[in-house]
Amino acid sequence: MTVQTVLQTFFLAFFGLAAIWFAVVVFRTSSMVRSALALLFSQTAIGAMFLAMQAEFLGVLQIMMMATEMAIMAIFMVMYMMDPGGLGEMDMTHQKRLSQVAGVVGAVAALVVAFFAGWGPVAGSAPGAFEQTRLLGLEIMERSMLIFETAGVTILTAMIAATATAIAVREVRKRGEGE
Amino acid sequence: MSVALTLLMLAAGAYLVAVLEGWISTGRLSAAGPITGGLALLGRESLVPRKPDRIFFEVAPPLLLVSAVLAFAVLPISPNLIVADLATGALFVNAALAYVMVALVMAGWGPDGVYAMVGGWRFLGQLIAYSMLIVMPITAVAMRAESLVTTDVVVSQAALPNALYQPVGFLVFVAAAMAVCFLPPLDLPNAPGELAGGVEAEYTGWRLAVFRLARLLLVVTLAAAITVFYLGGWSGPLLPPWAWSAAKALLVAAAMLMVGRYVPRLGEADFLQWCWKLGIPLALFNIFYVGVLLLVLP
Repeated sequence: MTVQTVLQTFFLAFFGLAAIWFAVVVFRTSSMVRSALALLFSQTAIGAMFLAMQAEFLGVLQIMMMATEMAIMAIFMVMYMMDPGGLGEMDMTHQKRLSQVAGVVGAVAALVVAFFAGWGPVAGSAPGAFEQTRLLGLEIMERSMLIFETAGVTILTAMIAATATAIAVREVRKRGEGE
Repeated sequence: MSVALTLLMLAAGAYLVAVLEGWISTGRLSAAGPITGGLALLGRESLVPRKPDRIFFEVAPPLLLVSAVLAFAVLPISPNLIVADLATGALFVNAALAYVMVALVMAGWGPDGVYAMVGGWRFLGQLIAYSMLIVMPITAVAMRAESLVTTDVVVSQAALPNALYQPVGFLVFVAAAMAVCFLPPLDLPNAPGELAGGVEAEYTGWRLAVFRLARLLLVVTLAAAITVFYLGGWSGPLLPPWAWSAAKALLVAAAMLMVGRYVPRLGEADFLQWCWKLGIPLALFNIFYVGVLLLVLP
């Protein structure tokens, strides 16, 4: 084991634990903005895990994408919750028994997959950062093209549907004012 | 060594931008203005408002500072003077700048004040307008360089800077860059004269000093990004490379500040409309146009 491997393992574990800790904070706070930003930092820690594993492009991409997404989630959470600051005695949890069971089953399933799946031979060394970016581009443009296109079209459909819903509501309100 | 030099350049840039900003907004050129202003802020008490979200309130100004500095770290000042020449440099600039918005949302939510909160959420709206216009022009720049490495981007402009090669992308990117560092006319989150300081409203003393410094560094970083992506970075005759980088970045910063002097402030809804109905089609056209140029020209 070289120094680099030790450091890599240390940082991987550190950011992994940080990701789990921030994920716990999401549910321990009653403030919607804190909750959303804790999820952001959990995701950022996962991005840092990618960086620790020498997957530069994926790490930077993860850190970039999550900032915007989680902030937008924060504003929706503030809009829809009756107590976004968490200053009252609101209890955010519900269906506790069901969620506990679901959480345990999910964790066990993840562990089973992690330990028993055949992951194939472990790569001795990661390709250089430049090579990785090129390979990722080829992967997206070739084998994974269909998956990305499907996901993209699905998201686009959801966006158009959401916009259409918003427009319909506004028109009803306008008609009400005109009468 | 390169870290120290880069920080020195960044500090000098922030000072010069502060002097310029003072000159443009007050009409008086005062070389000591930023220093006395900063010292005055440091001398004042830094109040904490009642019932703040203490973590956000304290973290926001340093986070703004860190994101500006990190974005600057991947931009080359001269062929050898770059803190981190990442393989994903052009993407990393976006990643660091995304946290500008996180910092401002934190600064808006943290102090538990109305003006601050309006300012913070406004900037989130502004981000939805500008974020695509940051990423898509950079895509076209990376297409020409065939690389995300920022030094490669500068080298690719040896014959013709991107500002002339892809003028549409250049204009779109400059507008978006002004929105990132919330310069007038896009200074919605602090909106002087309307929001009583907005996100800055509840900050005083050294915390406000850190916030203002971070904003100045952000202006320098965006000016440097425009220089690297569109104006050929360090390349130029006679003068040493770092001087060209500095001169170009300073001119860009001055131009951005001048625009704010003469253009009225844009509401966030209007800005959103302009960005999505005009900006994104233009940016898409720019990607297409650069693609055609790359295929047709040798």
